[in-house]
Amino acid sequence: MISMLPMILAIVGLVGLFQSYITQEMFASVFDGNAVHDTLAGTLAGMIAVGQAVVSYILGGELLKQGVSLYAVTAFILAWVTLGVVQLPMEAEVLGLGFTIRRNLLAFISTLLVSVMTVWILELWR
Amino acid sequence: MSEKRRKFRWRGLRLLGGVVLLYLLLWLAGSPGVGPALQKTGHILKMLLPILAVAVFLAALINTWLNPKALARHLGEESGWRGWLIALGAGVLSHGPMYAWYPLIEDLRRHGMRDGLVAAFFYARAIKVPLLPMMVAYFGLDFTIVLTLLTLGAAWLQGMVMDRWTLRSLSER
Repeated sequence: MISMLPMILAIVGLVGLFQSYITQEMFASVFDGNAVHDTLAGTLAGMIAVGQAVVSYILGGELLKQGVSLYAVTAFILAWVTLGVVQLPMEAEVLGLGFTIRRNLLAFISTLLVSVMTVWILELWR
Repeated sequence: MSEKRRKFRWRGLRLLGGVVLLYLLLWLAGSPGVGPALQKTGHILKMLLPILAVAVFLAALINTWLNPKALARHLGEESGWRGWLIALGAGVLSHGPMYAWYPLIEDLRRHGMRDGLVAAFFYARAIKVPLLPMMVAYFGLDFTIVLTLLTLGAAWLQGMVMDRWTLRSLSER
C-alpha cells in the first residue's frame, strides 16, 4: 500500500486542479431541459466532477432550483460517487485495465437506468 | 513468485511527475487557479490521511489474521449471499473517495475476492448513511428511499453481471 503513495498524491493533485478550475456555472451550462440529454449530461458531469459526496447534494440542490430536471440531478449525484475520470489511471493500474473498463461501463449504464427509474417511480408514487 | 518476494517499487511516479509538470506549467503561465488548487490539494490530503490509515490498518489485519481459505469463504467463489451482504454493507459504510480503497481492494482480490463483489462494493458506496438526512432535506424522503433501494439493487446486479463477464473471459482464455 505504501508503494501507491505517488499515485495517490498524483490523483489528489488532479482533484485539486479540477476543484479549482471547474466551477458550478460550468456544470449548470451543460443542461438544456431535454430529459434524455440531461440524464446523459448529468452522468458525464458527475464523472468529471470530484470532491466529497456532500458537495454533490448541494450542487444538485442548486441545479434543481435553477430548473434542471430531476433525471439530470439524480444521474449527477450518483455518477459523482460511483464514476470518476480523474481516478481512472489509478483504478486501471491497481485493479487492471479490463476490470476498470468493465466496472465503469456497468456503473455508467446503471447510473442512467437508476436515474430514469427513480424519477419514473416518484412520478407514479406522487 | 510469492508475495513476500515481490520486489518493492513505487507506483504512479510518472503520473505524479505529469501532475507536478502540469502545476508548474500553469504556474509559469501565470494562471490564478494554481494557488487555490494547491490549497485544495492540501485540504484533501488532510481529509484523506485518517481514511488511508484505516485502509492500511485493515489491510494489515487481513494479511495477518485472515488466511486465503477464510477469505475465500467470505468473499470468494463459495461466499454466496454472505459475500453479497459483506460487499454491499462495506460499500455503504465505507467513507472517503473511491481511490483511497483501491489498495485494500487490490489486496483482497489477490486473496481471492470475486470481481462481482468488488463492483458491488464500489457502486454501493453511492449510499452514504451519514448523509442520508441531508439527502432527505435536499430531495425529499421518497426520493431518498427510492434512490437508496434502486442503488442497492443496481450494485447487486452489476456484481452479478461482472461475475458472469469475468467467468466468460476466463473460459475464453
